[in-house]
Amino acid sequence: MRGLVPAVLMLSAATAAVASPAAVKVQLPCESSYQMLSPTGAQAVLFCKDKSIHVVNLPDGSERLLFPAARDVNALSFSQDGKWMAAGFPDGTVEVLPAQGAGATRQWKADSNRIDNLYFFADGKKLFVSAMNHPGTIWELTETPTLRVTLADKFGGVSSVAVSPDGKLLVAGGGDTVIRWYDTATWQKTREYNGFLLDTFALTFTPDGKYLLAGGADSRITVFDVASGKELRQLPTEAASSVGSIDFLADKTQVMTEYFDNAGEKPPYRLVWNITTDKSTPVQIDFRPTCGSVVDGKLWLCNTDGKTLTISQHE
Amino acid sequence: MSFTRRELLERCAAFGAITLATSIPLSSLAYAWDEAEKKRTPTPFCELGPFYKREAPSTSMLRAPGDSGMPLALAGMIYDVRGEVVPDAKLEIWQTDNLGHYDIAGYRYRAVLEPGTKASYAIETVMPGHYPQRVCQHVHYLVTAPGHKPLITQMYFATDPVFDGDPDKNYTRDPLITSRELVRPVMIKGDPKQMVAVVNFDLVMETL
Repeated sequence: MRGLVPAVLMLSAATAAVASPAAVKVQLPCESSYQMLSPTGAQAVLFCKDKSIHVVNLPDGSERLLFPAARDVNALSFSQDGKWMAAGFPDGTVEVLPAQGAGATRQWKADSNRIDNLYFFADGKKLFVSAMNHPGTIWELTETPTLRVTLADKFGGVSSVAVSPDGKLLVAGGGDTVIRWYDTATWQKTREYNGFLLDTFALTFTPDGKYLLAGGADSRITVFDVASGKELRQLPTEAASSVGSIDFLADKTQVMTEYFDNAGEKPPYRLVWNITTDKSTPVQIDFRPTCGSVVDGKLWLCNTDGKTLTISQHE
Repeated sequence: MSFTRRELLERCAAFGAITLATSIPLSSLAYAWDEAEKKRTPTPFCELGPFYKREAPSTSMLRAPGDSGMPLALAGMIYDVRGEVVPDAKLEIWQTDNLGHYDIAGYRYRAVLEPGTKASYAIETVMPGHYPQRVCQHVHYLVTAPGHKPLITQMYFATDPVFDGDPDKNYTRDPLITSRELVRPVMIKGDPKQMVAVVNFDLVMETL
């Protein structure tokens, strides 16, 4: 893990198409202080205090053990259609398994180092894998996954990745603070941005693919023009916080941005930025959420009382 | 009485303790022995962490007058796995202040060092603090040198209360500590009014 943001919460797919009830309450099978929602809102993954991982189907609450504590999962991600999950382990192993229903599980040794980040391409046929301090790799998810390409960097591995809506461009934020652009047809690096001094934890394309938003330890969102690769502007800084995630809301001009306190002393908080006016509005919540995801263009939050998990939508 | 490796080999040969093939001169054997003994294992790696910042200032004095925390003198050498010094390495070092805060906006407790042909470094800083998301006090290192793999690691202190005085047994209390070797002994020097913690941390780089 990179410290601030649990790796299991990073790089979960952002797009979603399935709506669910405004509030769902299910029984917790274990003590869980944080969760992750699938991109469709059909499932919640529970990270349990005993280090086991369970998955709960929503809204009926049926659950199953996904990984026992001994598996020591370090990274977990859903495919963008919510049908598959990928798990990364300390020994460099990656496992791709069906999120629900039947399907073949594939497991392979993707790296010698701990797997930190996983990201499914939109078609579900390719998986981006990054391991601690090592370059990112792209794997074809055939019956026996095969390495398609290794994306070289200077040092420090990959902290963030995004694929353009048309699938033609992959952008990766490196631990070396460099943002690298790749043509997904040739896997040639087409551009490098060296303007950041600090790490980037979140990369998101606008739904029309014209702009790229980047945020990280420098506490602000930077807007890039995708056609030219040039930095257009930076949104105002949130002091002493890092940008952990950026997700577009339904109206496509606003982004839900999650911030983490750099000192780790305050809980994460969220602002909605309008990227046409560069103005922000804080998300007012009267509880401390244990998960937060943008599903179908709306913010979904989790809340637990120790026995039950409540998932609610917020406008 | 002490002997050089060559003298020891010659005496052993003279007493028949070792038998040499005529094609291997004693000097070669002594050299091979020396080389074998110089070999070092690479420094275990750790993760880079989220708060690496490029373009830190070139300075060995990270501590400013009036800074809180026990002064820390941190020094070491940079070797390759053959035991030779790495003469053209660049070190980037960063840590929290004594209260456990990284300077994100600026460059406090961040430095770049270029030790040159001596391959030795020394910084004056303070003992880093604890912070909620990490168990142990630590100092980050990024070492780069032509022809060598970048070395990303972290150094820990055997005096850290987390170890309860027994880092051999308890170093895994911080799940990010990849090796006991990264937990270094701390010597306290100076008079009671001006105590300084002194730590030696050598770095061993792998060749490409």
